[in-house]
Amino acid sequence: MDEEVISRESPIVRVSQFVKRYKKHVAVQAVDLAVRRGEMYGLIGPDGAGKSSLMKAIAGVLSYEGGEVEVFGITVDSERAAERIKHKIGFLPQGLGLNLYPDLSVEENIDFFARLRLVSEKELAERKAGLLAMTRLDRFRDRPMKNLSGGMKQKLGLICTLIHEPELAILDEPTTGVDPVSRRDFWAILAELQQERGVTVLVSTAYMDEASRFHRLSFLSGGQVLTSGTPAEVQALVPGSMVTFGATPQREAIARLKAQYKQVEALGPLLHVFTEETVPAAALQSITASLGDIKPVHLRVDEPELEDVFVALLLRQGKQPMTSKGPLVTPSSADRGLAIEAKGLYRDFGTFRAVDQVSFQVKSGEIFGLLGANGAGKTTVIKMLNGIMPPTGGEGWVAGVDMKTAGGAIKERIGYMSQAFSLYLDLTVAENIRLFAGIYGLDARATDQRFKWIVSMAGLKGYEASLTGRLPMGVRQRLALGCALVHQPRVLFLDEPTSGVDPIGRRHFWDILSRLAREEGVAILITTHYMSEAEHCDNLALMYAGRIVAEGSPAEMKDQVEKEAGQLLEVVTDQPGPALRGVTRAGFTGAALFGTKIHLLSIEPGQDEARLRAVLSSDGVHVLGVSARPLSLEDVFVYRVMALERQERATAKGAAA
Amino acid sequence: MTSTVHAPMFQTVWWRRLVVMITKELRQLFRDKALIGFFFWAFIMDVYLAGSGTSMQLVNAGMVVHDADHSVASRELIHRFHLPYFRFDGEVAHPDEGVRRLDFGDVVVLLNIPPRFQESLASGEATAVQMQVAATHSPQGLSAASYGARIVGEFGREVSARAMGMAANDNLSLPIVRSDHRIWYNPNQDESWFMSISEVLTITTIFSVLLPAAALVRERERGTVEQLLVSPLTPFQIMFPKVVAMTLVILAGTAMSLFGILHGIFNVPMKGSLLLYFVMMTLYVFTMAGLGLVAATIATNQAQVSLMTILVMAPMITLSGTWTPPEAMPVWLRDMMLLSPLHHFVTISYGIQLKGVGLNILWPSVLAMLALGSSLFGFGIWRFRRQFN
Repeated sequence: MDEEVISRESPIVRVSQFVKRYKKHVAVQAVDLAVRRGEMYGLIGPDGAGKSSLMKAIAGVLSYEGGEVEVFGITVDSERAAERIKHKIGFLPQGLGLNLYPDLSVEENIDFFARLRLVSEKELAERKAGLLAMTRLDRFRDRPMKNLSGGMKQKLGLICTLIHEPELAILDEPTTGVDPVSRRDFWAILAELQQERGVTVLVSTAYMDEASRFHRLSFLSGGQVLTSGTPAEVQALVPGSMVTFGATPQREAIARLKAQYKQVEALGPLLHVFTEETVPAAALQSITASLGDIKPVHLRVDEPELEDVFVALLLRQGKQPMTSKGPLVTPSSADRGLAIEAKGLYRDFGTFRAVDQVSFQVKSGEIFGLLGANGAGKTTVIKMLNGIMPPTGGEGWVAGVDMKTAGGAIKERIGYMSQAFSLYLDLTVAENIRLFAGIYGLDARATDQRFKWIVSMAGLKGYEASLTGRLPMGVRQRLALGCALVHQPRVLFLDEPTSGVDPIGRRHFWDILSRLAREEGVAILITTHYMSEAEHCDNLALMYAGRIVAEGSPAEMKDQVEKEAGQLLEVVTDQPGPALRGVTRAGFTGAALFGTKIHLLSIEPGQDEARLRAVLSSDGVHVLGVSARPLSLEDVFVYRVMALERQERATAKGAAA
Repeated sequence: MTSTVHAPMFQTVWWRRLVVMITKELRQLFRDKALIGFFFWAFIMDVYLAGSGTSMQLVNAGMVVHDADHSVASRELIHRFHLPYFRFDGEVAHPDEGVRRLDFGDVVVLLNIPPRFQESLASGEATAVQMQVAATHSPQGLSAASYGARIVGEFGREVSARAMGMAANDNLSLPIVRSDHRIWYNPNQDESWFMSISEVLTITTIFSVLLPAAALVRERERGTVEQLLVSPLTPFQIMFPKVVAMTLVILAGTAMSLFGILHGIFNVPMKGSLLLYFVMMTLYVFTMAGLGLVAATIATNQAQVSLMTILVMAPMITLSGTWTPPEAMPVWLRDMMLLSPLHHFVTISYGIQLKGVGLNILWPSVLAMLALGSSLFGFGIWRFRRQFN
C-alpha cells in the first residue's frame, strides 16, 4: 500500500520545456506536463494545437527539438531509449481505424497485435474474451474491420492498444468523427478499464465538451499550454456565470450586450451570455440593466461550461472576439415562406433503404439542424435535396423549385459547404473566390462586389494572397462559407461544417450564420454530430436508421426527454468507481462517469437523492454532493438513440422467438 | 437577388465557366513543383538521352577468338571483325574458356578457327569457321550473327577469287549481282531520329493519360468534386477543362522537345506541315486524355490510377510500333493494335515528320483516331455521370 502511495506521487510522464518544430513552423512551444499513475489525463485543443506532436513524442515515435520527455523515469531522447519504454505503452494514433487492417476480421486484428507484442496464447485468449465482452464486440468477431461503424472501429483500436496490458495508454483523438452515442460508449468503456486495471490514460480530444471527463487536463492552443489542472481548478480560473434567456428583437439585444460582454452567443431564439458575476441575482441584474428596454424572458443562470472557460482564457490571452460588422448586403426581400420542403422522401441502395419517409419544412431565415449518427441518412437527404442524387420516391421543393423536374435550377439557387471544406488548397484565397464566382456565372462587376463582401464578412482581410492550405482551420472554414455564398443563394446547405476549429473560430462562424438567417432571411440546413452546434439551431430533426424519430426546437426536445426520463443529476463522491457500480445496480438510468463525477437521470430528484445516498453509504461510499444540471442536447441524442436501439433489439428478439 | 446569375446570356456564362475552370487547372498544375520538374526532365532530358544513348544496332560487341591455326589467313579474318561493330577482346586458349566468357556475359561472340585453316584454303579445300553468338539480347545477337556471316562470306569470296588468279577487287569477269540501294526518309540511317521521335511519342502518351486522370482522382480524393457537382457545372464542364488545360501543357512540352532537342540537337527534319503536326498532336492528346478519364472513373485513388494507366500503357507503347515494326507482330495482335490510338499516331507522326506526307495519305489513321477519341471521351463522361447518380 505504501509503495502505491509513493508511485502515485512521482509522475510516470514528465515533459518539461518541450519544443517541436517542423522545418520553420513551431508546432509545440515550451510545454510542461506531468501525468500521474492511474489517472485519466486529457489534452484538449483544436486542430494544430500541438496535441499529436506531444503524444507521439511521449510514445517515443517522434523526435523533438528541445526540452525533455521522461516516461517511466527514462528520458526518451533516442530510439534506444524509446525501445526500453515501448513494452509498457499502448499507442492509438489519430484517425478512425488507421492502425488496423481493414481486410482482417476483428479477431484477426486483435491476434495480430497480441502476437506482435508476444502475448502468450493463454493470456491472449483470456484478455480477448474479457475485452470483447466489455466493448460488446464479441458478436462481430468474424466481421472484417472495414465493415465496422466508426465507433466500433475505435473500440477495436482500443482493444488492440490494450491487449498487451500496457501501464500507459496514449490515445490520440479517439472520439473524433464518432457519433455521440458511440462516443459516450467509448468513454464509459475507457473509464471502466481505467478503474478496473489501473492503467494510466493520456488522451486528446478536440471536443471541448469532453473536458469534464478527465481527472486532470491541459488546454492547448497554438502549441502552448493555456492552463492545466483538474476541471474544477480550471473552472475556478474564470469565475462567473452563464445566463441564458430569450430577447426580441434578437439582433438589437446582441448589439447592446456585445458592448458590455465579450461572450455573447445566439442559440436559436435564446441568448447565451457569460458574466463575471458569480452570484445569480447580481448576474441577472447586470444583464437586465444592459438590455435596457428589451425585456428578457425565460431567464436561467448556470455555472459556466468548460468551453466558456476556455473561450474566456483565449480572450484574456489577447485573441480578439472577431465581430463581422461588414455589410451583409441588401436587407432581404424577405419572402418568409418555405425555403425547403421534403415530403415522404425515400432512397434505396439495392435492397437497403438509406432514407425512409423523411418529411420536414424549413422556412426562410430559419436554421434547421439534421442530427444523427454516421450512416443515419443525413448526407443522403442533403444530396437528394441538392439534386445530385435522385430520390427513389417522395417529393421535395428547394427555393421554390421542384427538385425532380429542375435539378439545374436548384443548383443555381443553393449554396453548399461540405464536410471537408472543399476548397482548392493549392489555390490562394482570392483565386478560390474568383473560381467559384466564375462557376456560378458572375460577371466581372458582380465578382468584384461579392469578393469584397466575402472578404469583409469572413474576416479574410490580409489573407487574400495566401495559399488556402496554409490557413488556420477557422479561416478556411469561413472561406468555404464565403465561396458557398458567392452567388447569394436563398438556401444554404452545410454538411458537417465544423471539425477541429478552435472555440473562438467556431463562435465567429455561428455568429455569421445567425446573421445570415436573421438579417437576410437565408434558410440554413445543417447536419452535424457536434451536439454543441445543434444548440444553435432553431429547429432540429433527429434521424435514426433513415427515419426522422424526433423533431422540435432544442428546448422542446430537452423538455420532452426531461418529462420522459427525468432531470440530470450530478453526483460527486469520494470513490467514483464503486459509486458507479452501486448506482447502476440500483437501477438508475443513463448513469455514466464524467471524470470523478457521476451523471444520471432521475424523474423524482428528491426521492432519488435520498435513495442514492442510502445505496451508496451501504457500499461505504461518501456522497459529497448532488446537484441538478441542465440537460444537454447530447444527453437528448444519447437517450433517444439508446431507447431506439433497445426497442430494435427487443423486436429482433421477438422476431427470433 | 439572383439577377446576377440569370442576366448574362447563357452562352457567355458557359464560356466564362470554361475559362475559369481551365485557369484553375493550369494554376494547380504550375503550383505542383515536383510535377513541373518531372515534366521538364521527361520532355527535355529523356528525349535527349533516348536520342543519343540508345541504339538497336550492333555496336561495340565484345568478341574472343580461339585461333587454333595462328596463320596469316586466320589473322586476316580476325582483323576483319572490327569497330564500331565488333570489339576484339583477345584470344582464348581453349573453346571451353570462350564459352565460359559467353556465360559470364562480357563478350557476345566466340569465333573458332580450326587447325590447318590456311593450309586448307591454300590447297583449295573447303573449310569452316565456327561462330558462337550469345543471343540473350536477341536483336544484338541476330545482328552479330548476320554481320559475322557477311564478313566470313566476303573473306571466302576474296580467297576463292585469289585462288582463281584474280586481284581481290577485280571482279569484272565474274557473274555477280550487286545491290544498289537507296534509303528514303532517313538517308544517313541516323538512329537518333527514330529514337528521339519514339521517345517523344512515349512521353506524350504517358503524360496525356496520366495528367487528366490524376487531376480528376485528386479532386475526388480531396472531396472538391462534390463541391463542383452541386454547382451548376455539367459533368462535361468539369472534365473538359481538365483535358484542355493538360493538352495545352503537353503541346508546350512537345514543342520544347521538337524545337529544342529533335531539331536543335539531332537535326531531325520536319518534312511535312508543322501546323498539321500540332493539330494531329492535339487530337492525339485528347484521345489519350479520354482514356485517362475512363481510368479515373474506375480508380479510387491516385496510386490505383497510376498503376492502371501503366498496365494499359506498357503494352500499348511497346506494341503500337514506336519501338518495333508492327508488321513483325502476329496478325491477331496487329489487328488488336488497331484499337490503340498510339498505333495510328505513330503512322501520322512519322508520316508528317520524316516522309512529309499530308492528309491525302494519312486520312485513314486520322479518322480512326477521331473515332477512338470521341468514343473514349464519351464513355468517360458517361461513367463519371453514372458514378454520382
